[in-house]
Amino acid sequence: MVSTKKYIGNVWNALHSTFVGMRITGKYFLQKPITVQYPDQRLPIPDRYRGIHYLEQEKCINCLACARACPIDCIEMDAIRHGKELEWVSFTLDYQKCMFCELCVYPCPKDCIHMGTEFALVTEDRSELKHDLLSFKGMAPDARVRMKEAEVKKAAKAAAKEAAAAQKAQEAGTEEDAAGGASSAEGDAGNGGGEA
Amino acid sequence: MFALVQNGGGVLAQTPNEGTNFLHELLLWLPLPEWIPGWALVLGAVGAGVGILVGLVSFIALWSVWMERKVSGHMQCRNGPMYAGGWHGWAQTIADGIKLFQKEDMIPIGADRVLFVLSPAIVLASIFGALAALPLSYDWYFARMDLGIFTILAIGSTTTIGVIMAGWASNSKWSLYGAMREAAQVVAYEIPLGIALMVPLITLGTFSLLDASALQSGFFGMGWAIFQNPLCLPAFIIFWIAALAETKRAPFDLPEAESELVAGFLTEFSGIRWSFFFMEEYAAMFLMSVVGAVFFFGGFESPATYALRIAGMEGTIVFSLVCFGTLVLKAFTGVFLMMWLRWTLPRVRIDQVMTMGYKYLTPLALICVLGAAIWEAILHIVLN
Repeated sequence: MVSTKKYIGNVWNALHSTFVGMRITGKYFLQKPITVQYPDQRLPIPDRYRGIHYLEQEKCINCLACARACPIDCIEMDAIRHGKELEWVSFTLDYQKCMFCELCVYPCPKDCIHMGTEFALVTEDRSELKHDLLSFKGMAPDARVRMKEAEVKKAAKAAAKEAAAAQKAQEAGTEEDAAGGASSAEGDAGNGGGEA
Repeated sequence: MFALVQNGGGVLAQTPNEGTNFLHELLLWLPLPEWIPGWALVLGAVGAGVGILVGLVSFIALWSVWMERKVSGHMQCRNGPMYAGGWHGWAQTIADGIKLFQKEDMIPIGADRVLFVLSPAIVLASIFGALAALPLSYDWYFARMDLGIFTILAIGSTTTIGVIMAGWASNSKWSLYGAMREAAQVVAYEIPLGIALMVPLITLGTFSLLDASALQSGFFGMGWAIFQNPLCLPAFIIFWIAALAETKRAPFDLPEAESELVAGFLTEFSGIRWSFFFMEEYAAMFLMSVVGAVFFFGGFESPATYALRIAGMEGTIVFSLVCFGTLVLKAFTGVFLMMWLRWTLPRVRIDQVMTMGYKYLTPLALICVLGAAIWEAILHIVLN
């Protein structure tokens, strides 16, 4: 009798649990999927997400503070200084090493390096993981303009200085003119002597 | 008793419309010139039949695989394939098929080459054979078989031989384990499958799929066997569990249990041969669903066919199309149910499979048959 009860209980259990399971999967079947079609749709990324860096190159002063702060030395930068302006050669970040610790962001005096929201680092070759964060190479157009302006100003200043000097010299010359007739004749003679 | 079985569906019995093979009718209808010899016509008809079957099996496999991926995806709150072909990834299976055709065809060094090459062919041939006994509509069939269900079950179970051949020929222990499990499982579940089918057979009193369908055309096409006899519902549940085990579907996919046996009997197969087994699985699902639909859920009969019959459209091409559509709809509802069960239940252990087959389904199926026979006898006495 006990075994009969158990037998019927087993049959009931099997059927009942199957129907309960089917109700659950059926409920999920009718629900909207919770996944998104990734490359087309993306879930919102939190503001403080630490993704691939981006650099505000115009602000950067090539001070190497971020490179020094990096615990694994994955930041390298190179720029040629022309007075106040920079001619950029490279600013690379090796994402094979980078651990996205955000320590490079804090020491920046100009607040120009940031953690971005992009996180996909799929490449066909390891070497492609060394990202160049520069948006342009060489000098920025406005820096070029500024430099030209500075040069023009400098040239103007130099010219003014020269003119002032020339004027001064001329003034001094006119004073000496009366007394210097002999010296100029001397010079002519000297020249003539040289030619001969 | 036997007379009762023969007369079981007498209450609702009506003579099914007589007809011939639709390929034969097609040959008669086509304006063929006189000089074509008879054997060429026969060959052409056979070719057309094979073409229809191949097309049917390919379509079923393509559609069911896509459906399976979408159903499983949505049951797990995913989308399933979304890109191939544009609209909801409809061309995903076609892309998969092209990939499979291009794959290297590998035969392991230690394998028995003859059996290895032959086994996918046998598996596919047996399912083609079983599908050939399937009527597509009241007047679309390859052969009018009075023992249609016997033919389907007998030819359909030869797939097991192909599977065992595949497992043995692969020369791999995983494959052999899979094949042995398949053998044990099929032997255990053929019994409740056949016995559970006896219940609608008693109710309807016929072995022919066409007659069984015609006998279920009650009010609004709802004179289904499942409404004619209360024992048909438990019998259907038993039939369905056994059908899942027969078609190697989860939770009974022990022959290819991927977490234990790599891929069971499929381990050593690749490319096109593997895809033959895959096609067989989905065609077998469709076949079992059709058998269930015909013998429990009215076959071609539905409110739509009832309405057409009232409108006097019986025998027209529209009626045949509606019958075909009804059957396909019911069959794919069954396929969906199989998928639903697959993505609901975890795989059972082999000893649980055996216990379920021998200790539970077989005796319960026998009780159902006895109950159905008694019900029919009482009905017979009360109505006369």
